[in-house]
Amino acid sequence: MKKILTIVMMLAVAAALFPAAGQEVEVTSQRRLLEGVEGPAFYPVINPAGDRLLYCSGNGALKVHDFNDGVTLLVSEGPVAGHDACWGGDGKVYFVTQRIGEDHLVYRTGQSYDATTRKTTQLTAPLHGAVRAVPATHGGALRAPGRETIESSVNIGSAAWTEGNRVYVTVGDDERVFSPVDSWAGYLWASISPDGQRVAFFAAGKGIVIIDLRGQVLAMLGNYEMPCWYNNDYLVAQNAKDDGHQITSSQLLLLKADGTWQAELTRPSSMAMHPTCGGGKIVYTTIDGLLYEMKINIYD
Amino acid sequence: MRRLLLQSMMMVLLAILAVNVAMAQQPHVYINPGHGGYDSDDRNMVIYPFTQGDSAGSWESKSNLRKGLALKEILEKKGYKTTISRVANTTADDLALSTIVALCNQSGADVFYSIHSNATGTSSVANFPMVFYRGYTGSPQIANADVLAADLEPYLYANTNTVWTNNYQIWGDWSFRPEWGTQGYGVLRGNYAVANLSEGSFHDYIPEAYRLLNFYYCWMEGWNISLGADKYFNRLDKYGLGVVTGNVRDDRINRLQECAQPFVVYGDDNLMPIHNATVRLLDQNGNEVQRCETDTLRNGIYVFKYVAPGTYTVEVSEPTHFTQTASVTVNANEPTYQNFYLKRVRDTPPVVVDYSPVWHEGDPAVKCSTPITLAFNWDMDSATTCGAFRLEPHVEGSFKWEDSYYRLTFTPTDAFDVNTLYTLTLDKSAEHGGGTPMEDDFVMQFYTQPRNHLKELAVFPYEGAQVHYKAPTVELRVDSMLDTYNLFQRLRVLDSEGNELAWNKRSIKYNKKGDDYGYIRISLVKDLEVGKDYKLVLDVDIADTAGIHLPAARVINFSAVDAGADKPGMDVVETFDKDDYCLGWGCDYMHTLLQDSYTEGLFDKAMRLDYDYVEASEIFLRYAPDWDLEKESWEQPFHQGDKVGIHLWGDMAYSNVFLRFQRGYDASWVKVPLCKMDFHGWRYVELNLNDFAPDDDYRLKDIVFYRSDNKMGKTGSLKLDQLIRGKSSGVAEARLANMEVHHNGDYIVVSADTWVQGVELVDINGRTIKSAGGNCLNVADVECGIYLVRVHIGDRTATQKVKL
Repeated sequence: MKKILTIVMMLAVAAALFPAAGQEVEVTSQRRLLEGVEGPAFYPVINPAGDRLLYCSGNGALKVHDFNDGVTLLVSEGPVAGHDACWGGDGKVYFVTQRIGEDHLVYRTGQSYDATTRKTTQLTAPLHGAVRAVPATHGGALRAPGRETIESSVNIGSAAWTEGNRVYVTVGDDERVFSPVDSWAGYLWASISPDGQRVAFFAAGKGIVIIDLRGQVLAMLGNYEMPCWYNNDYLVAQNAKDDGHQITSSQLLLLKADGTWQAELTRPSSMAMHPTCGGGKIVYTTIDGLLYEMKINIYD
Repeated sequence: MRRLLLQSMMMVLLAILAVNVAMAQQPHVYINPGHGGYDSDDRNMVIYPFTQGDSAGSWESKSNLRKGLALKEILEKKGYKTTISRVANTTADDLALSTIVALCNQSGADVFYSIHSNATGTSSVANFPMVFYRGYTGSPQIANADVLAADLEPYLYANTNTVWTNNYQIWGDWSFRPEWGTQGYGVLRGNYAVANLSEGSFHDYIPEAYRLLNFYYCWMEGWNISLGADKYFNRLDKYGLGVVTGNVRDDRINRLQECAQPFVVYGDDNLMPIHNATVRLLDQNGNEVQRCETDTLRNGIYVFKYVAPGTYTVEVSEPTHFTQTASVTVNANEPTYQNFYLKRVRDTPPVVVDYSPVWHEGDPAVKCSTPITLAFNWDMDSATTCGAFRLEPHVEGSFKWEDSYYRLTFTPTDAFDVNTLYTLTLDKSAEHGGGTPMEDDFVMQFYTQPRNHLKELAVFPYEGAQVHYKAPTVELRVDSMLDTYNLFQRLRVLDSEGNELAWNKRSIKYNKKGDDYGYIRISLVKDLEVGKDYKLVLDVDIADTAGIHLPAARVINFSAVDAGADKPGMDVVETFDKDDYCLGWGCDYMHTLLQDSYTEGLFDKAMRLDYDYVEASEIFLRYAPDWDLEKESWEQPFHQGDKVGIHLWGDMAYSNVFLRFQRGYDASWVKVPLCKMDFHGWRYVELNLNDFAPDDDYRLKDIVFYRSDNKMGKTGSLKLDQLIRGKSSGVAEARLANMEVHHNGDYIVVSADTWVQGVELVDINGRTIKSAGGNCLNVADVECGIYLVRVHIGDRTATQKVKL
């Protein structure tokens, strides 16, 4: 494994030194979303088709915006509902709310929302500890560590998530657990490529790692956060800097999944963050909660 | 057998269930030791003996980690589940704020503590704990974050190992940093645990920076945060062990005595922390339970961790101090604070090892401002030492201790008397800090110089001066070089309501080496208000470079006037504009340097003369340097009772100014004193020509500036503007009753045919110098010069010039 890692890192260094000749990206459009409709909005999540957008409004409510008809619906005003919601492959929204219980312990409840029927379903009882919504290609899952995963259907397809310094990859009934790089603090932000062949995740202290479905490291893309697959070959990620107290700069980067190329999509001073990709669109927010939609052309 | 197996299985299942329930109820705390590594954003405080960037020195990243690891250890002992964002202090561990938030959220923690220390980032120094949560103060974004903060802060603030300067503070980060909008602290943003960011103390308060170097001090902050968590989760009664901690200091030695660069200290932080003190925790049978040692990093901290409740004795020993003990009671899950103030072992009697001034018969006399300093072999007891101090002849003064009571300085309130032999006896009753007196009296003598106060040569404004309101200038001249350090702060101009007027510091001029006298000259920023009264205050501590100060503070009253105000009944004789070519100058001494020019005047242009007298000499301005030319206006004769006035600009050159007339009938010269240039800025001076002989014509020929006989008048500048004349009403001041004025030695004596009620001596500016009832005035102490004697007879007055 160490040998493979060394080779991958050498390739990454070589890629940085000799970037792919002629590779370019052009931002073809960029527009404010929900201007005049919504105040500050955070943590956007666009669906794979790119026609619906989840976001957290300034008061913490989870809302969904439909690009087709321009309608914005309230999903939940439950505490923290808007923070880590996701789209399931079945078109439903999976999210978690929390409440303070006896002796100030925090209890979290997994829920789903059907935007078609506008119906919310409670999927788990209030549980003390971590309860997280995980998107899957055919549905969604609610993960509560140490407990059984609650899945939306018998076959939710492929999914990836992290716990501690492990990345979990489910393909059908097959659940695989990998720890391909050392990371004392843990892994975050796992996602499967649109073609289902690769997994991107973030290893704290190391950065973005691309592995195949056998856990082999294919590339390390640099110490950037919140990777999302733009298409099978490219990811968008956040590059934020801070002084230990406050975020001092934040920008979006376009990263080639093989680690050979990267480009700035916004300037560091844009304070752009939390990118999400779907249907050829990139949606992100700024530190003060302005939502933007960006479209790009990549010239190989 | 089957039943036994079933029972066993059920017991195992119950045990598993119990463990699961316990796990389910186990609070989960996410710990984020702020920052990470030894980089520019990791808050390195440079404190002796460490240099900038030394990883062994004071770093917020390092102390935060120590606190965080301690909290993790303590909480796990208390049955908590913990997750921590880093366990090492490297740059790689300094995770991005968004990453820390996501890790916390993923962990499912109930609460989140981000552990920091604070800095003012300014020259002001403070030390107090602060806790922040996301949102506005009183309105947290995540429910209960304010409760978590309120449960934590009292435990941080109860820590008496440190010295707090203010009460603790709890803030919503949006209220604390309104300039950030709702951006807030990065580790609270998007964090949906009940989250706090604590600034446990201020690491730019230097004594605190030293404490934060101590592992156990950091551990105590972890302990106190754990108590905040216990309070929040209702678990204060769920832990059975306590803590004993404190600070070991000397009871009177100042910690700054060994510092090359002193720093701000508050309260007990003035006292020297004791290094390598052995601290033992003894049970009631005297058995040692725990032992620790204070470090050598200037903090004196000791901690006994995990102590069973009960009564103990804490014993502190260190070879150079007497051993001290204290009884403490330890309660479960509570800190017990016990600070110690050790007394030094002083094993010899005190003696004076050095003193000042050192003087022996035949030595040069000592300056009257010299303080007396005594240095001792031990730190002394202030009360007995000051009580043993006896100076003959007696002088009022004040004592000041320095070097942690090793050095005593006596400074006379005013100054020692001149030409006096002083004897200081320090009685042997003086004791050192341990209570042992001296074995013998200490005696010293010194003889003082013949000068003990700064002599004021001149000041402007002087008492009663009328100062032209525009661009007012203040000047003080003294008989030796002034100590110019912050000198301008020792002079103040106050308006009638006591408000201090600002100096124009860029205008300031001081004496410099080689000057004939000491001086400070400075202007006010703003003009004065005409008609208003002002005060010039001279502080007593205006001193020369030898420390000789003024004999007393002075308050000088003056008022503002407009020297250019209308003078009704007066006609302009001469404007002193450049166009007037008939004006010329001359001097009666070949070596006096003189230059003239025309400059901005009080009205329009004015004539300016810059001069440098070589010796006593005079400068005269004469109308019509070409003696054949004459000008009508000047040549119009003056008569008895007329008035003549002129606008002069001076710089305290102290020249005497005269008008010289030519008397008509015999062409004799008459020189009339006008004023002395003892002022700054413009002034209007006017003279009544009452002493002219009736019926004679007097033609004004010269304006004469005569150098005064003191060194202040050697160089200077003056300006002249508008010479004006007022015609007599025809009623001259009558000569009264055959009055005659005699200057007889020390007295002026007035004789007349009738009773003389009083005599005044008036200078050429019209200021009364002296006065007396009757016909005699003692002028023995009046400076030589030209004066007017004003004599009061009945309800009338008469004046006569007199030369003293």
